[in-house]
Amino acid sequence: MRKFATDTYAIFWREMMRYRKSKSGVLIRLIQPAVWIVVIGHTFSGTKPLIQAAGFDGEYIEFMAPGVIVLTAIFTSIFGGVNTLWDRRYGFMNKALVSPIFRSSLALGKMLAIAIVATLQASLIIAISLIIGVSFIDYAMIIPIMAIVTLFSLGFSGVSVIVAATAKSQEAFWGIINFLGMPLFMISPALFPLELMPDWLSSLAQINPATYTILLIREMMTGVESGIPVSLSLGVLGVFVGAIILVAGWTFTRDVSRPF
Amino acid sequence: MSYTIKTDSLSKRFGDIQSVDNITIDVEQSEVYGFLGSNGAGKSTTMKMLTTLLRPTSGSARVAGYDIATQQSSVREHIGFVQQESAIDEYLTGRENLILQARLSRLEPAVAERRIDELMETTGLADRQHDATVTYSGGMKKRLDIASGLLHRPTILFLDEPTVGLDIQTRHRIWEHIHTMHKEYDMTVFISTHYMEEADMLCDRICIIDQGKVKAVGRPSQMKENLEQEVINMRSDNAVLLSDNISSIDGVQDIRRTNDTLQIHVSDGPQTIPIIFQKAQSLNIQIQSVSMTGPTLDDVYISYTGHQIREQGPEPRRKRRW
Repeated sequence: MRKFATDTYAIFWREMMRYRKSKSGVLIRLIQPAVWIVVIGHTFSGTKPLIQAAGFDGEYIEFMAPGVIVLTAIFTSIFGGVNTLWDRRYGFMNKALVSPIFRSSLALGKMLAIAIVATLQASLIIAISLIIGVSFIDYAMIIPIMAIVTLFSLGFSGVSVIVAATAKSQEAFWGIINFLGMPLFMISPALFPLELMPDWLSSLAQINPATYTILLIREMMTGVESGIPVSLSLGVLGVFVGAIILVAGWTFTRDVSRPF
Repeated sequence: MSYTIKTDSLSKRFGDIQSVDNITIDVEQSEVYGFLGSNGAGKSTTMKMLTTLLRPTSGSARVAGYDIATQQSSVREHIGFVQQESAIDEYLTGRENLILQARLSRLEPAVAERRIDELMETTGLADRQHDATVTYSGGMKKRLDIASGLLHRPTILFLDEPTVGLDIQTRHRIWEHIHTMHKEYDMTVFISTHYMEEADMLCDRICIIDQGKVKAVGRPSQMKENLEQEVINMRSDNAVLLSDNISSIDGVQDIRRTNDTLQIHVSDGPQTIPIIFQKAQSLNIQIQSVSMTGPTLDDVYISYTGHQIREQGPEPRRKRRW
């Protein structure tokens, strides 16, 4: 168990060292969610009566801020596995695979690093939303919100790492990731309440882990009850992340050294 | 005699292609063993199986006394693997790369620090250890790669084509370096290469592999001797005509021509030279210079495989999964 922890830390350390050296990327990746929250937040401010009809008493931008926080987490984490592709091509993967470390550590170390970076990005979005006037009922909630973002990101970084470890080509990776990313965001209450969606879409949204995360964070930020119990949301998120960790760990024990 | 690598009919098949075909070899402790073959001969595939990166289709192998299929983690603890392409992290400094390797090898931090200091000295990278490796030259990267392979004092060091892509001077320095490291740490070294000179300079024994099969194993000097061949280098004013007329002489095995110089491979040089001179005289050909050398490893390779080292496409890839 101790070995598993130190092995995982070895990989986590390496990934964080790499991020440290590519700081400019952090700002570039921040542009898109910042545009979302500023532009869409104001464009749709006229939908306030609609949102209120669905039971949310507040400004639209307060409604969508949690959505954009989760958007940031989704995209940072789901694209985060891309360096696994480079690792497979440029030898780091083989180097790690011929070393005695646990192969599941390889997956988990990467996932943790991506989740931490995604959380940092999301916290910058929280800062931006504070600047443009979004208020929290209790600012101490920021800490548990960040914890939930980390947990959520851990799940999607796992999805990314699994796809990157098994994809036959770069194109396959980007194809699958893009195919997953946008629907995860759109088919959720990120921009629009579930209550106002057609039934088939809102049923789809209910199998999306992002839905529960957004509802949870929105409730924590605004204090408006989402209609789904907190324990259910946390449970769904926990099961999702747990399952992904297991699958990712298992994926890396298989043949991931193939070139592409 | 104790063996550090022992394979038994090791084979790997990718779809219809038999990449490695019933390879049975023994590598002795502390020897430098060369795996010599052209691209696509099955060298990398064999090395990947021995380093637990690929599972064999059939057959078995023991590395450092452990079975590569059933005792993979024990195998991994005892081997160092230096890949053909540099596997160092360019974002990290030289020292950070070795720290990473130490963590991957589960070394105690104190031991790791000491060994890293030592290896930085022996590789001559000490004064550049805090620079990002992206600023290193090809030769420096290779030395750092080899250092990472040595950090946990492996029983066997696998070097996959260690000097591919390096210039001649750097290549010679890497050979010297490998030689020094081998003396210093006394591990078994398993090298794959398609450079004759490299195999000749570095290896105690070589194994010639072609199309997935072992063609010959032996000491380079012994293999050259066994050829019972000498090479006459002869420059004349009409190499083409001379070549056509001496091929039938008893004992002439092969003639190769570069411009006006003939390389005549014969079984007995001193006896054949006068005969060639007579032939040349009768044809009115002026011989300008003549010298005689022993056969090279090149000649050994050709005699066993029937062809020169040739460039081939990459090794077959596995079926697409997505």
